[in-house]
Amino acid sequence: MAVKAILYIMERDLRYFFRYKWWLAGMVSMNLADLFIMAVVYTRMVDPKIGNYFLFFSPGITITALFAAAFMIGREINREIRREISHYMLSLPIKRWELAFGRVLAGAVRGIIYMIPLLLTTLAVTALLAGNVPSALEILTIILALFLISIGTSGLSITIAVSTTSFEKYVTTRGVVYYVLFFCSTVFYPLKFIESVMPQAFALIAKYNPLSCGADLARSFLLRNQSIELFMPLDLMVFALIFASAALFAYMKIMQK
Amino acid sequence: MPKPIIRIVNLTKKFGNLTAVDHLNLEIEEGEILGLLGPNGAGKTTTLLMLTTVLRPTEGTAFVGPYDVTQEPDKARTLVGMAFQDPKVLWVSTPWDILNWHAKVCGIPSNEREKRLRWVLEEVGLWNERRKSVHTFSGGMRKRIEVAKILVQRPKIAIIDEPTTQIDIVGKHRIWNMIRSLRDEGSTILLATNELYEADVLSDRVAIIHRGKLLVCDNPKKLKDSIPGGDVIEVVLGKDVSKKCLEEVERMNRVVDVLSTKPNHLKIYLNKAEEVLPQITEFFLKMRIPIKSVQMSEPTLDDVFAHYTGLTIEEAEKR
Repeated sequence: MAVKAILYIMERDLRYFFRYKWWLAGMVSMNLADLFIMAVVYTRMVDPKIGNYFLFFSPGITITALFAAAFMIGREINREIRREISHYMLSLPIKRWELAFGRVLAGAVRGIIYMIPLLLTTLAVTALLAGNVPSALEILTIILALFLISIGTSGLSITIAVSTTSFEKYVTTRGVVYYVLFFCSTVFYPLKFIESVMPQAFALIAKYNPLSCGADLARSFLLRNQSIELFMPLDLMVFALIFASAALFAYMKIMQK
Repeated sequence: MPKPIIRIVNLTKKFGNLTAVDHLNLEIEEGEILGLLGPNGAGKTTTLLMLTTVLRPTEGTAFVGPYDVTQEPDKARTLVGMAFQDPKVLWVSTPWDILNWHAKVCGIPSNEREKRLRWVLEEVGLWNERRKSVHTFSGGMRKRIEVAKILVQRPKIAIIDEPTTQIDIVGKHRIWNMIRSLRDEGSTILLATNELYEADVLSDRVAIIHRGKLLVCDNPKKLKDSIPGGDVIEVVLGKDVSKKCLEEVERMNRVVDVLSTKPNHLKIYLNKAEEVLPQITEFFLKMRIPIKSVQMSEPTLDDVFAHYTGLTIEEAEKR
């Protein structure tokens, strides 16, 4: 029954996700516009020592899209709490951990689904411009790494959604998390650049930021411009584990007042 | 003697300084419809939410079947289904999707699910709207979806919070009949309402709560009979009545008070009016006083509430 219950919870969240299909299509288009307009323009502006910024940014935008889509589950759960739809969810004849785990997984799967068109674009762009075509195993490894980011992000957003009592607090916390995670990361700029212009603490955060690990891991397979360090997959696993557990705890303990 | 399927023991819920439910003790028998009657803010919904394990009691507990809601909430929920006061649906959904998903989660097999969904949607009058998004629906239509969830689930214990608010009179009767047939099929129904008539016609027993406390619990008839002089018989006579006649009527068994509003017009306050009325008519016939008209009125549950609290439900809601 546990697997069935989790699948039903996921089904519900995925259905709601696809109800916004036109909005999602618009968002993917905007991400692609970011890549094909902004990144192309910046390529001409940034220091050539960084290399081809368009190619550098391409895996980064995939991470951005994945993060935004996986984070959406938190906004929905926060809305459910405000409208007391959470009472209905909590009253269902399924175990609380199944409910919580189903929601974390659903958030993660939503992130992956949303990210796929962008990953395909990145694969095409890197193949055409850099001549690198990753193997099936490498693509699978990238997807696995991104799935771990997606689980962690979904868990993080659920933890915030459940722990904040008002919509204002939720939106503010979400904004701070977005800002810190993207500002101190290698999603938009390389670590060397951060080390050269920002305080050492920022560089340290950026290095171990799971979004950096995901982006750099993807770059190492797609651009072959850097080697994979052991801490990267470990970092992603720890991120996924910590925030999935936090979401489970929050959903099971905080929701039932 | 039917055994209790829900046992509420000293159940208490506090929100900060506010005590929403205050040491509530109540037993609900298997197969009955128990109406939880009280004004808004009496603690009805909070009680129901604790029984469905949505809220955690501050003190005390409740047993749903054999399961303690504080110790085995997962097991307790397998016996319970709840229709909420405010419809708990996301506006992007359709009635079919909402009910189909609910049925799946409640473990209704796929071969049975479609049949049951069709029957319920037809019963609540939403079959033609089954594929429409609920954001186009009126409050009453959304409420019907909430009740439909319970009808699809057919749980051992159905908890229904104000099932007919925002529903028109025809719809009310339809839903009452559905609740009765749910009971006839074996469910125990716990129904929270602030509508006196609903509690009266639907409940086998009514538990009146006020400010989180149980005031009284019994069947509606006994509750009404428990008010001394609650029944009223108004008699208009063909000629004026003497003081001696009045005293004779006053001395009759179960008569509490007699008021002569006009010389030929009596207002008799009594209990069990239906048993005393033949005695009264016989008395006036024997006295050769013709009876022009007789009007009999029973106390309502509002009178019962007023008897125990000194307030009508309307007044209690305002305070």
